[in-house]
Amino acid sequence: MRLNVNGNSLEIDADPDMPLLWALRDIAGIMGPKFGCGIAACGACTVHIDGVPVRSCSLPVGAVEGEITTIEGLSKGGELHPVQQAWLEEQVAQCGYCQAGQIMTAVALLDEIAEPTDEDIDNAMGGNLCRCGTYPRIRAAVKRAAALKTAEL
Amino acid sequence: MNWRGRLLTATAMLMLTAPSFAQDNAPSQQEGLAAWQQVYAVFSHPRCANCHVADERPRWVGAAGSAERIHAFNVQRGVDGSGFGNAGLRCTSCHFESNSKHLNGPPGAPSWHLAPAEMVWHKISSAGICAQIKDPERNGGRTLQEIAEHVREDPLVGWGWKPGPGREPAPGSAEGTYEELERWAAAGAPCPQE
Amino acid sequence: MASIGKIARRTFLLGAAAVAGGVAVGYWYVSRPYENPLEGEVAKGEATFNPYVKIASDDTITVIAPRAEMGQGVATTLAAFVAEELDVTLDRIKVEHGPASYAYYNAEMLAESGPFNFFDDSFLAEMTRSALGTVGKVLGLQGTGGSTSARDGFEKMRQAGAATRAVLMQAAAARLSLPVAELATENGRIVHARSGRSVSYGEVALDAASIAPPKSVTLRDKKDWKLLGKTQQRVDMHDKVTGAPIFGIDVRLPDMLYATVLISPVFGAKPVKADTSKAEKMSGVIKIVPLETVYGSGFGVIAKNTWAAFKGAEALDVEWGKPVNPADTDGLMQVIADAATKGEGDVMRNDGDVETAFADAPQAQLIEAEYRVPYLSHAPMEPMNCTAQLKDGHLTVWAPNQMPTLIRWLCADLAGVPLEQTTVHTTYMGGAFGRRGEIDYALYATLIAKEADGHPVKVTWTREEDMQHDCYRSAFIARMRARLGDDGLPQALDLRVAGQSMMASLVGRIFPGRSAPGPDNTTTDGSHNQPYTIPNYRVTGIKAPLTLPVSFWRSVGNSQNGFFHESAMDEIAHAGKTDPIELRRKLMREFPAAVAVVDKVAAMSNWGEKLPEGKAKGFAFVLSFGSWCAQVVQIAQTPGGIKLEKMWIAVDVGTALDPGIIEQQMVSGAIFGLSAAMNQKITFADGRVEQSNFHDFDAMRIFQAPQFEVAILENYHRMGGVGEVGTPPAAPALANAVFALTGKRVRSLPLSDEVVFA
Repeated sequence: MRLNVNGNSLEIDADPDMPLLWALRDIAGIMGPKFGCGIAACGACTVHIDGVPVRSCSLPVGAVEGEITTIEGLSKGGELHPVQQAWLEEQVAQCGYCQAGQIMTAVALLDEIAEPTDEDIDNAMGGNLCRCGTYPRIRAAVKRAAALKTAEL
Repeated sequence: MNWRGRLLTATAMLMLTAPSFAQDNAPSQQEGLAAWQQVYAVFSHPRCANCHVADERPRWVGAAGSAERIHAFNVQRGVDGSGFGNAGLRCTSCHFESNSKHLNGPPGAPSWHLAPAEMVWHKISSAGICAQIKDPERNGGRTLQEIAEHVREDPLVGWGWKPGPGREPAPGSAEGTYEELERWAAAGAPCPQE
Repeated sequence: MASIGKIARRTFLLGAAAVAGGVAVGYWYVSRPYENPLEGEVAKGEATFNPYVKIASDDTITVIAPRAEMGQGVATTLAAFVAEELDVTLDRIKVEHGPASYAYYNAEMLAESGPFNFFDDSFLAEMTRSALGTVGKVLGLQGTGGSTSARDGFEKMRQAGAATRAVLMQAAAARLSLPVAELATENGRIVHARSGRSVSYGEVALDAASIAPPKSVTLRDKKDWKLLGKTQQRVDMHDKVTGAPIFGIDVRLPDMLYATVLISPVFGAKPVKADTSKAEKMSGVIKIVPLETVYGSGFGVIAKNTWAAFKGAEALDVEWGKPVNPADTDGLMQVIADAATKGEGDVMRNDGDVETAFADAPQAQLIEAEYRVPYLSHAPMEPMNCTAQLKDGHLTVWAPNQMPTLIRWLCADLAGVPLEQTTVHTTYMGGAFGRRGEIDYALYATLIAKEADGHPVKVTWTREEDMQHDCYRSAFIARMRARLGDDGLPQALDLRVAGQSMMASLVGRIFPGRSAPGPDNTTTDGSHNQPYTIPNYRVTGIKAPLTLPVSFWRSVGNSQNGFFHESAMDEIAHAGKTDPIELRRKLMREFPAAVAVVDKVAAMSNWGEKLPEGKAKGFAFVLSFGSWCAQVVQIAQTPGGIKLEKMWIAVDVGTALDPGIIEQQMVSGAIFGLSAAMNQKITFADGRVEQSNFHDFDAMRIFQAPQFEVAILENYHRMGGVGEVGTPPAAPALANAVFALTGKRVRSLPLSDEVVFA
């Protein structure tokens, strides 16, 4: 089957029941989305399909329709995406394992709500678990990213 | 994958109205109440009622008999009232077209979302749900015939009878519940006292 | 596993001899305890000066930060030690973890394990710390844990940087024909101010490497620090915001196979009957491998991809043996409760005469309580995994781990290859919290690699396998009694803490057949060593006779004792009608560092202000890992339940090496502790763990996280740790706030068994 990932069309030889996460990681070698739970309970595997964040650990690869974007596809031409830039400036990550998922969710949030409040952030990001407790810095970084995006326009 | 498109479909469904149907050789009121009891057993079952809630939050009931709790992750109806969740955390971020085969994985059906806020079944009595079902203001403007057809044909409703590993299905079947609804309607749609 | 016994005997003998001899820990390359492991791996045009520094002719400066980066920021702070003295900024250097080597022993990890309180500066305490540190050197135990990494690296890594700079300057002096005294360094260059001539470090690196290092070096004064003491950009941040493949689970090698494990869910049991035929026929499954290690027995499933391995493991039909411990939580807790009531224990603190103090106590002045905490899983975000390859007599292991030298020993033994033919690569870790101080994942991967015909195999556990095969934080029960004086202050405090001995469990796993005799500090850490003065004060640790696998869990013994001791203090304060903070000021008056953090957090949180109805604050203090930490949390009753609004933290770390990372770690530690206090418990039924994934063993989510404000103090004269210090006061601060809000004293965790959180 063919998958469209980060603007590239990839031929994937996989059982259609295989979760998208493992097709990306083990077959396509795209390692940004992480395995955390396998039941859509932690958000570490979050990717976008047509801009909507989805948990790739629970989505059969055979059911995928649309453009897949992973963390690797966020930065364009070596420039960090404003959300990544904000994460860097706020020094959000600790172990870093959940952060690809956190960033993908934050990107989707900001695509819909340009200047999110704390409540908007809390409403959007409850599905992304962080065991290091980076939440206060995530809130700060989402707001900084909003400012960076506005400045870009 | 497009939740917005689905929202439109759901809204369009709400607008539909049609005349109610009548039957000859109607069953007795007692038979009608017995039929309603079967319907109530379905509507009040956690597979249905968990997403027909009065507040903003769907419920979880784990393995059969386990305690009910609020859906984790701060999942909510959505500030737009759509029932499809909030920006960044849509129902369809985790609930796909089919059930996860993994124990405790997310169940799935097309267009996964919360029922509209006026259609509350969670912790509502048999009489309460019955009155609601007959009230076009609170049943999506449907005739009883349309309700029966919705129960038989809607894939998200149908999920309640095949909810995936580790979950107790709603009692009976979609077809059986359709027939009970018809029998109940034919008996004049009687509602119980409580 | 015969040779493990030999290793055990040898190391214990060496350890004993070293303690008896009282050898001092030296400046590493004066005494040169170990070879520089980098000497074998320098590239052409690259020079190494000591185990911490490599410089290439093209000016690439590589610093080895040999402690496991599991999120705590250690790679950044350790690199800054070297960079500070080498006189380069952090953006000029490349940081690597380096190989598993004895040269990277962690002396500090053992130094603080002696039977002395952190604030004991007596000659005997200092001598024992030094001797135990030497044991660390002799064992060559390269480990990350106990919040020790920065304290361990502080001297030796700055010395390494300074010594490297010294030889670079000598080489530059020769190259430029100028006296060394006229040269200075400037971010990677050696400059002669008067003439304006200069050379880069890279240009003279090869010359410098042949110059003998100086016998002694002078380190920069704290007031002259350019990097240390200031917040640095973390060296791992760019990789972590771009999704770079840096974790163990991201290892990808040519011809690699994939695998998973299915280990007996019944602890200590082996398979009784197994049908592997269905699994063997599954698409993508290559081979089923029986596994037996000191950790557990079961099967490895080798497959073409991870998902096929998972499906194969699901298809295994195995009947497991019977549990050797009570099969359910009630039975386990009964054993611990019996130990707390009547078990013989080790008295870890015994001031005054507790028995006499209670003998004539009037009932009105007595307080008695029982506290309980459950078993807990570590549940780091990255599930256990390890990649191993056994090819041409060489074993290579890629493992996200906290104990590389231990993995090297035991995996070499298991694979039947000599130590010299074993390489361990430590990857970045997606969290660890103590879990990766265990080595089960590496043992299983090694056994699986033996059956993989020379292919590298990446073994990934499912989350369910991870949660149900942890080495848990033990459940504990504490019995407390206190006698109040007429002034409301405690005249006597008696605490009996019972639970499984972590050290006994650990020694039994690493050195099978051996026991850990004597007291286990970790049972009462956080209760027996707190800076309170109470005339009659006794803390007893009792080992419950159970053999479930238990281990280090972020802050170790402090994780349960913080809750016991500080809940007790709050109860004493209320019973004696003393403000909880005032009580601390009085009881800790002999320890100004403690009083200072208490005062600071009281001021920050405006303690004592009148709060609106439905809001309350709670306080707790714990000295752990050498740092003094006071926390106040404010909570509010909302329609959805109790919401955590804000937490204030004041911590004295002695010397603050990187305020940004310290702030991060305080918040991180507190959220870790709050997560457990609110919701977490591991329970047992039929000898198995009941929880399986994040739906039933969750942690705090962003919408539950309070705001934080952190103050860092530097009053105490010895440096403390950072990575675990925020955890111990969090649970009691919250429980004490719940009492202030609801009047309900919750003495058993998790609190959600008694109250609802929003």
